[in-house]
Amino acid sequence: MAEERKTTVETVSSSLLGEKYYRVAHKSGVTMLLCPMEGFSTAYALFGTNYGSMDVEFKTPEDTDFVEVPAGIAHYLEHKLFENEEGDAFQRFAATGANANAYTSFDKTCYLFSCTQNFEQSLEILLDFVTRPYFTEETVQKEQGIIGQEIRMYDDNPDWQVYFNLLKAMYQKNPVRVDIAGTVESIAQIDKDLLYRCYNHFYNLRNMVIAIAGNFTVESAIEVADRVLKEAEPFLTQRRVPDEPEEVSRRKLEMELEVAAPIFQMGFKLRGGSAEENMRNQILDEVLVEIIAGETTSFYRELYDKGLINATFGGEAMSVRSLLSVTFGGESREPEKVYEAILERVRELKRDGIEEDLFRQCKKTIYGRYIGMFSRPEAVASALLASHFTGLELYSMVEELGRVTREKLEQRLRTEYHEEWSSLSVVRGHGGDNDEDGI
Amino acid sequence: MKGVIEMGSGPNRVLIGEGVWFTSILDPKFKSNRISVNLEAPLLEETAADMAVLSLLLRKACRAYPNMTLLGSRLAELYGAYLDGEVRKHGSKEILNLTVQGIDDRFALEGENMIQDCAELLCQTLFDPNFGEDGMFGEDDLRLERQYLVDTIDALVNDKRSYAIDRCVKVMCQGEPAAVSRYGTREKALAVTAWSAAEIYRRLLRTARAEILFIGCGDPSGAMETFRRAFAQVSREPEPVPDAPVKLAAGEVKEVTEAMDVVQGKLVMGFRVGDVSDRRQYNALRMMLSVFGGSPFSRLFVYVREKLSLCYYCASRYDRPTGLMLVDSGVEFEKKEAAQREILNQLEAMRRGEFTGEELSAAQLNMVNAFQTTGDSLGSLEGYYFNQIFSGWDKTPEEDIKDLLEVTREEIMEAARRVSLDTVYFLKGGEQNG
Repeated sequence: MAEERKTTVETVSSSLLGEKYYRVAHKSGVTMLLCPMEGFSTAYALFGTNYGSMDVEFKTPEDTDFVEVPAGIAHYLEHKLFENEEGDAFQRFAATGANANAYTSFDKTCYLFSCTQNFEQSLEILLDFVTRPYFTEETVQKEQGIIGQEIRMYDDNPDWQVYFNLLKAMYQKNPVRVDIAGTVESIAQIDKDLLYRCYNHFYNLRNMVIAIAGNFTVESAIEVADRVLKEAEPFLTQRRVPDEPEEVSRRKLEMELEVAAPIFQMGFKLRGGSAEENMRNQILDEVLVEIIAGETTSFYRELYDKGLINATFGGEAMSVRSLLSVTFGGESREPEKVYEAILERVRELKRDGIEEDLFRQCKKTIYGRYIGMFSRPEAVASALLASHFTGLELYSMVEELGRVTREKLEQRLRTEYHEEWSSLSVVRGHGGDNDEDGI
Repeated sequence: MKGVIEMGSGPNRVLIGEGVWFTSILDPKFKSNRISVNLEAPLLEETAADMAVLSLLLRKACRAYPNMTLLGSRLAELYGAYLDGEVRKHGSKEILNLTVQGIDDRFALEGENMIQDCAELLCQTLFDPNFGEDGMFGEDDLRLERQYLVDTIDALVNDKRSYAIDRCVKVMCQGEPAAVSRYGTREKALAVTAWSAAEIYRRLLRTARAEILFIGCGDPSGAMETFRRAFAQVSREPEPVPDAPVKLAAGEVKEVTEAMDVVQGKLVMGFRVGDVSDRRQYNALRMMLSVFGGSPFSRLFVYVREKLSLCYYCASRYDRPTGLMLVDSGVEFEKKEAAQREILNQLEAMRRGEFTGEELSAAQLNMVNAFQTTGDSLGSLEGYYFNQIFSGWDKTPEEDIKDLLEVTREEIMEAARRVSLDTVYFLKGGEQNG
């Protein structure tokens, strides 16, 4: 292992999975989570900052007050970082054969590549372009057209709209209510100075992580980081997130779009805690999603047999920093009935408890899901990065699953899943049925 | 004739019955095994909906697990194993695919024989469906799955990008297999009966060439025996499906604009490539597409998106069995003409060989990366070998890479010249005009 002055390397292993990875506290301040995987051709590398669309109010200790920036700025930054004086980062990756991309979510922004060759060169490009911003008024202006078209594309996407409407209905104050890309109006206010300001706050290596899995060596990754990354200043930025009440903003939100059958999302707004508590609770919620309405339940079959849901139906547990929710959605001719049925199902489970067989099977299902994840480099790197930002170690999540009991689940249902803290979002077609079929 | 099966080598292909092949691709790095059975039939408007409903009925239940809850519980006992059924298009063929994927025996906490259990479950869904005493699917199941197919057909409009592509192909290829949807038409879907689904099921078992793919880390021999025994129980008269002729070149360009309540326009340009059965020509076309519109450093991305800021996406795709190349882009309504012009300019530049050595080597590296990555996931390996088998080829990703790197600049220019514009489809905003 490289003997750097301040770089330390620690091995993290799981006897249950027979897996290990390395956690590197790099001298620059960045954390590196490195998981070489025997036999794979691909290396998948992520460079992420703990900064997403919800971070719109912040300050440093010297600032007297918090500044508020326009919605969509984290995503705008993601687009603009790909460009600097020498041109486009995509062009630089073109010379290594790596497949590069980036994404912005509520709580993080990630830059990534996958490659089967020229790993060091590609990693160097990734670390270099993300740490070397270059914005001019002209290039910032030009991007408005492209992002405007990206927003338009999502405006026409009913699955996206129904999900964001659910968040709007569930949350009263939290910025997850607003689309990740912002609006055509909000992005019009973004200029180069604002971009630099946000960049300087949040793209501090101490607020960032590098996660790599697959075909590469730990030494080569550290060596590239040594070469490219400079030691970061202390990370002192404070964020302000409005206090979110337990109550939902509204119980129901409807929209009309060009769709065939109505589509819906319903959600339980759960009380969040620290990111780490949320991650633990999210594991309970994942099991509960299966227990409430998984395909193993007779509840699912009854709704299906009544024609209320079809194979598009599914549920999900989501944790974003201090927020937690559980959602169910899909296509339905009668979304209100499905919503009512899910509420009734939760009432029953609270009253009668969870059947032992169902509990055991759902746990097995989720165990199988985790095992599947550990043989995909992109899934391993993404999970390492996500767990790092929550402060919970990845393998301990799998062990946490082993500690889930029926009692814990029942208690969680009783204390957190409340009908009055739930919302329904529906997207319907215009004015009823339209039977015009494609020729 | 037991096949000798080796780890980490190329595919091992064994004939295990009348028109039944078992192909295994093994790699110890995986933690799961994926088995799929693929039955080949002609792609026809008369039968596509029956095939689609059949795939839904088979994945939903079987005699041993006659409803979704019982089947779901069985899958949960197999650590949430994944079971699905679908129909796929490959040129003039429609293929019914049933797939199961589960964790390897090594990770089973209670010593289950996962491969054997998964293979048997897949055999039960295929050979022992949930028929009533009359030898047909139950009316209730039939009604629900038929409705789901109708809903799926109706919901194609929800995703505007794929809807526009679908419309372009329908306008362009009337009367050709490419225009037949794998789901069939709405009318045909509504007309599926318990009888017609059972009828197509029996016909498939008797006449379809069957391709079983085993991809994973475990020993496939037990699964192979299970399928060998199961197929030996049915009477087989395989009828191979011939490839349909491919239309060589476009005539006069068709222009179609349709309106819908959308805020972004969708431009789809359909090109004819002709019959490319020759591997060398095929490789040249794939390289041409990679330089032209296959990556974020391809010409369409760099010129249409980045330099002119006309759109968020602009990309090309190619389907060899039908000889179609499509370019699609999400653009503002007023910028459709400008985007269309620039797309054609870039194609012209390809024909004239106005691409740099760097662009060519970037496209080569990109292809190498893509094919080397194939070996890292069960799903992409399945997709790769599925395509090889139904194209009548026996390449490996490594051989594909070698062949692609031999393509010359002149061959790429030649490939671009094979391409002719057939149809321009545009989905714009406003009142629907059908």
